[in-house]
Amino acid sequence: MATINWKKLRKAVFSKTVYRGTASIAVLLALWELGRWLRMPILGAAPAPSEVIFLLREIVFAPDFWENWSASFKRVLTGFVAAQIIGIPLGLAMAINRVARDTAFPVLEIMRPIPPLAWVPASIIFWPTTESSIAFVIFLGAFFTVVLNVLGGARDIDVRYLRAARSLGSRPQDIFFKIVLPATLPSIFTGMAVGMGITWEVVVAAEMIAGKSGLGYLTWSSYVGGNYPLIVIGMISIGIAGYVSSSLIRLTGKLAAPWQRLF
Amino acid sequence: MTSFSTPKPLSHPASDSFSLSATDRFRHAARRFLSSPGPYLGLTGIVSLLLFWYLTTELFALPRFSKLPGPVAVWTEFTSRNPTYGTSLFSPEYYKHILWSSWRVAQAFFWATILGVPLGLLMGWQRKIRDYVFPVVELLRPIPVLAWVPLAILMIPGREAPIIFLAFLAAFFATTLNTFLGVESIDESYFRAARCLGSKPRDVFLRVVFPGSMPYIFTGMQIGVGVAWFSLVAAEMVSGEHGLGFLIWDSYVLSQYPVVVIAMVTLGVVGYLYSAIIRLVGRMLMRWTVRTGG
Repeated sequence: MATINWKKLRKAVFSKTVYRGTASIAVLLALWELGRWLRMPILGAAPAPSEVIFLLREIVFAPDFWENWSASFKRVLTGFVAAQIIGIPLGLAMAINRVARDTAFPVLEIMRPIPPLAWVPASIIFWPTTESSIAFVIFLGAFFTVVLNVLGGARDIDVRYLRAARSLGSRPQDIFFKIVLPATLPSIFTGMAVGMGITWEVVVAAEMIAGKSGLGYLTWSSYVGGNYPLIVIGMISIGIAGYVSSSLIRLTGKLAAPWQRLF
Repeated sequence: MTSFSTPKPLSHPASDSFSLSATDRFRHAARRFLSSPGPYLGLTGIVSLLLFWYLTTELFALPRFSKLPGPVAVWTEFTSRNPTYGTSLFSPEYYKHILWSSWRVAQAFFWATILGVPLGLLMGWQRKIRDYVFPVVELLRPIPVLAWVPLAILMIPGREAPIIFLAFLAAFFATTLNTFLGVESIDESYFRAARCLGSKPRDVFLRVVFPGSMPYIFTGMQIGVGVAWFSLVAAEMVSGEHGLGFLIWDSYVLSQYPVVVIAMVTLGVVGYLYSAIIRLVGRMLMRWTVRTGG
């Protein structure tokens, strides 16, 4: 199984799909570059790919750049982990206990439509440091998604499993650990992956509005400072960071719930 | 030989309710709803949230909570005919901000639908188009919409257009990808059947691809309005001069804290209304997907 099927791989790499995709991305980049040199109306205002690559060669070795990465990652991780620690048990409690669900669900539904970023000022007023207020907004961004996904996953469990377990004499804790928890595991990870996406969206905006470091701050401050190629580097970094963290969660989810794998 | 006679339909006690009039059925449902513990528990939850807010901020004024505006302060400001900070139910400014934000979201949503739905349909319909377009979309999608803020301000002239562009971008990805998924979800045998019976590609597009992906298109539009609203708030906070996002940030800078809460709640309510409207329109246009009792 470990050997690679070279024929298949070659077929996949040298397929029409790959050629076409590469071609369209190349055309896009060329247009962008050309638009810059010809001073076209909208494209001309953005820094050209060549300028971005030129700056990228310098900046990869600058420690400041990587400090921004770690600052954003730390914030995301703090808020995200807090959301999991509070959100997953709450979702599970709502799933197994009717009273908890009926009490907490309307409250969540009232709070949820408020965009997380609308909480930024209130969060700054309440929390003593900027760092904790950004973490709180990130927490909110991930929290609702996690709770609702856990709840949704638990409610999708086939009732026959629960009935069978109960009629065969399972104790409540057996039902929880052997049915509810494994059945909700995939949707817990779905919630985490979606929450991670929202989290990066929120951290960027929060850093732009009220940060002193981080990738969002880097992007915004290079706009204010007039270093336009750095804006694009900031954007790409945020994209990569968000993509990598979501993929890591998806991968963990696949490893944690092997029975969900199709191949 | 035993003859199989078709069994008579049993009269089920529940089937009697079909003969009841609509008002009676409504009364039944309402009575059943009110005699279950659900609504009371929900009310308890909401009341205890408000009580927690009131006790921590106003009655006991706990250390950090006392800086936040309490429910009584917010309510008196909201319902005052002569508000201290100029924003209440009776001030025209309040509605102006709502209209500004709504108008921006409407424009962004319009463009996202006009461009995103056809693009998604074409991507799902023709393999060639998908091969060319999909990689570009996938390359741009991981970049959070809000990271586009500086570039949008740089590239797009004017003050209104960048804000609308950001909301548009968020909605565009959601609409395009959901439409594309919708076409992918159509059963392959519909295509084969249509082709076997001699449909032209145009007919396949109009009679199979488009109606088949309708449920996904509406899901995409609903998600699109949500994310457009979400991005709009941030765009308005960073660079706006009207709208609810601007109102939140401006009242924060001016230390008019009750207005911050008023604007937050308004954002939630208006955003909720928009997605509810789209869900309703979708349900009316697609009667065939409505599950019984759903």
